[in-house]
Amino acid sequence: MRLRTWAFCLNEANQNLLRNPVLAIASVTTTAVSLLVLGVFLLLSVNVNAIATSIESQVAVRAFFSQNVPRSQEMAEMQTVRGWSDVRTATLVTKAEALAQLKQEFGDQAKVLDTLGTANPLEDSLSVTAQRPQDVKGLASRLSHLGGVVHTTYQSAVVSRLFALIDDVRIVGLVIGVLLLIGSLLVITNAIRLGMTARRREIGIMRLVGATESLVHWPFILEGLILGGIGALVASALAYWSYVAAYHTAVHSLPFLPLISPSPVARDIALLLFVLGILLGAVGFRISVRRLARI
Amino acid sequence: MISVRRVTKVYPNGVTALREVDLEIAKGEFVFLVGASGAGKTTLLRLLFREETPTSGSVIVNGHDVGRMRPRQIPYLRRQIGVVFQDFRLLPQRNIQENIAFALRVIEVHPREIRRRVNQVLELVGLSDRGLALPAQLSGGEQQRIALARAMVSRPVMLLADEPTGNLDPQNAEEMMRIMLEINRLGTTVVMATHAAHLVDRARQRVVAMADGSIQRDELAAAYHMEVNR
Repeated sequence: MRLRTWAFCLNEANQNLLRNPVLAIASVTTTAVSLLVLGVFLLLSVNVNAIATSIESQVAVRAFFSQNVPRSQEMAEMQTVRGWSDVRTATLVTKAEALAQLKQEFGDQAKVLDTLGTANPLEDSLSVTAQRPQDVKGLASRLSHLGGVVHTTYQSAVVSRLFALIDDVRIVGLVIGVLLLIGSLLVITNAIRLGMTARRREIGIMRLVGATESLVHWPFILEGLILGGIGALVASALAYWSYVAAYHTAVHSLPFLPLISPSPVARDIALLLFVLGILLGAVGFRISVRRLARI
Repeated sequence: MISVRRVTKVYPNGVTALREVDLEIAKGEFVFLVGASGAGKTTLLRLLFREETPTSGSVIVNGHDVGRMRPRQIPYLRRQIGVVFQDFRLLPQRNIQENIAFALRVIEVHPREIRRRVNQVLELVGLSDRGLALPAQLSGGEQQRIALARAMVSRPVMLLADEPTGNLDPQNAEEMMRIMLEINRLGTTVVMATHAAHLVDRARQRVVAMADGSIQRDELAAAYHMEVNR
């Protein structure tokens, strides 16, 4: 088609939208909301995934000693553990070191720990890393039987809980997102169909005077693309800027969370939402096209 | 120009609209299709611009086998045919110039050429001064002349008119008839389905009379009703 014919189709599509402004606004809004919800869940899922991966990479078992165990016994137990074949490293973390580490992790919020005064409720512990992540469980069990050890923790429990959480977030997000997408698809389809019905006289005349079917179709395809595209732009922009804002807030108040920097991920998700919006418009047209054939 | 051979048309509801119809129309002819409602006139016209397909037989229009035409060829057939209906079919929100230009815009004619041709056809139908009016501001006769202008603006080789004077008063009907004869005189083949006996009688053109889906009479320079004493 020639450029002026595209302009003609675009003008026809615009007239349809202006003829039913309420429906156009409803289509854009539902598309934007559904894509935004999908985007938020995607961003959440990506971040929880990142946190889990970061924790998994530092899988270590901590064996905490009872308060009354002498340092010499702790050192002896450390030497024993170092002799085990499935152990990569074993270090003694004294309660003072543990407190210092905690302060470091808290960053700006470390002042909270000042309320403890001189007291240190933490315990001496052995920090043991395994040769392989799958050895962690057995290692933790053996460490718990060492003399003076009161309990052991290992972060794979946290990791597996986090992975379960990611799955939940993904499923909930996907279900809500898909339901909302279906909703916005129906609204877009309805807007296009109403446009077709309102323009049946024009369509009849177009066919009568020899317009090709693609020329008859294009104004409606463009209408779908405009509705889906504007909704997607709104959703992409909101998702992007709200993630950037949330990220900067989180970096300052929860510095220990390994969140993903917005520059690649928020941009990619915004792009994905935009493509999805355009697809919604195109599918909306595809569903309506049979109505067009009957006009 | 038009060759209809042994055409039968049965609609999906079982109604037989045409039975074994044979009709030849040469280039430049003016043909009246007459007959009572339900005789098959409209169906015959609809077959010519491929709004319907024949159940059996063949319809050849300007060299195209219309019945066997692929859907994507239909627009190119229709660009060679102008069609006018009883109910005008104008676009109410667009002014007269835009209504006519619409027919050219959708077949991608250059804007400068569109302006030139719109002025030409408005002159042909005698409504050059009404280009900016909306259809609702025009009388029925004027609206039908605009519909005729739109049909002619793409310079078709053939004009099909289905009861074009059906909604018009006698004076407007005669004006419409005059313009259609003028269009024919300029070389366009015209096929007009009508009930207007006085127009047919006065024009003295070829008359094809139909009844019950068949052609009953096909006479040159004829009247609406058969004249026994000719």
